[in-house]
Amino acid sequence: MKKLGRVRPQARTDDLIVRELSEEVLVYDLTRNKAHSLNKTAALIWGFCDGRSTVPQISRLAQEQSATPVNDQVVWLALEQLGKSHLLRNRIIRPVGEPQITRRDLVRLGLAAAAVPVVFSIVAPLAVQAATCVMNAPNCLPNNTNCTTSSQCCQCCCHQTGSGNPPKCTGISTGTCL
Amino acid sequence: MQKIDRLGWAAGKSFRSYGVRVGIRVNNPEVLDQLEKYFPPGWKPAVSPVVDRLYSLKVGGSSSRPGVRYFHLLYGNVVRLARTADIEELFTVFESDLQLYVAEVTRHRLFVHAGVVGWKGVAILIPGLSFSGKTTLVSELVRAGATYYSDEYAVLDRHGRVHPYPRALLIRQNGNQKSSKCPIERLGGVAGRKPLPVGLVVVSHYRAGSRWRPRQLPEGRGVLALLANTVSARRQPKTALSTLEHVASRAPVLKGARGEAKEVVDSILHKANGGRPLISQGGSVHSKTNSPK
Repeated sequence: MKKLGRVRPQARTDDLIVRELSEEVLVYDLTRNKAHSLNKTAALIWGFCDGRSTVPQISRLAQEQSATPVNDQVVWLALEQLGKSHLLRNRIIRPVGEPQITRRDLVRLGLAAAAVPVVFSIVAPLAVQAATCVMNAPNCLPNNTNCTTSSQCCQCCCHQTGSGNPPKCTGISTGTCL
Repeated sequence: MQKIDRLGWAAGKSFRSYGVRVGIRVNNPEVLDQLEKYFPPGWKPAVSPVVDRLYSLKVGGSSSRPGVRYFHLLYGNVVRLARTADIEELFTVFESDLQLYVAEVTRHRLFVHAGVVGWKGVAILIPGLSFSGKTTLVSELVRAGATYYSDEYAVLDRHGRVHPYPRALLIRQNGNQKSSKCPIERLGGVAGRKPLPVGLVVVSHYRAGSRWRPRQLPEGRGVLALLANTVSARRQPKTALSTLEHVASRAPVLKGARGEAKEVVDSILHKANGGRPLISQGGSVHSKTNSPK
């Protein structure tokens, strides 16, 4: 079991394009072709992940620079999201005994929604995914193949049947296409 | 020399589009002139035989042997793109592949998969995947008096301004995934000529019965919504982020499901107009319905 004081998260810096906006930070991961938008709180915490500061220290530093309250729970939530997004050198696992808190819990506890750390991510599209579908286009996916968008499918329809099933390419006019 | 180079090509031409050099060769010179209408808007003839991508189109047809017909073949460099008995289908694949290639590799402009119209000196961008209803919305906006810019790509320069990409609208018929071309004049619209700054981005998809109640995305999320539809997002992410940042920092990005396109047109134009009352080009005042919060 890791002790709280021993966790020293370190932000990843290699193969990233970072753009600072007025209220957010945009990060493009060149390795995974993913783009992330960090809100103000998440960006602030990410900035303090220097590999030397512990979680309580990060929460104290973030609190000093933020107009909204930042406690250890807020930092843990941010670290979990940053870890999942591969924006930390090592994935941080919340120590056993440390309560699991979700964004909803923080809001319920009185934290303003805007102060809750949020990392929103997308996968950058392949060129063919960002284009209009042409039936039987080159390299298209045949029916019954897993897909993510309709433009990948030879018959132009990527359709999800049931909530648990992955979307698959189907024939035309079978329902709503993704 | 590749095997394809020995097939006996009768004619060819090269051209530039957005700085990308493209060549096309055919075994039947008559087809060459027909192909020009499938070139991207704004192409210019080139004299250099050196190209970035070479298309080879072999027209098939009847054979000297009875009962035998040859397929029409299309290659992009050495990869076969299409093999079909329908020459129009071949042209469609050629057009799609060519436009996508230029959109992906050009360094002069950033191509976002989006419909675009101009309204009162600003552009309205409607990014979205296939089947999200971009063309339908663009058609309705044009019918309401907006200027047509594109129904396929928003062509952005480094300052975030949109340039026209005035090809005919590709309209899908009800229940049919094949599309037909519709010149903008047939809708009573006009095509824009000058680049415009972006005034509004509408990220929407059609959902039957939905009421248009969009929410405004924060700037960063707005950039990601545009990036998700950017053709060269992976090839040149730095340029893409920088350009899209220009767009999202100046224009609100609205997101939400919509019902029928006709029902949201006034609301979109009203928002693009900075919330001022709408006066169409004919002089009549549009009613304001379902105005976004």
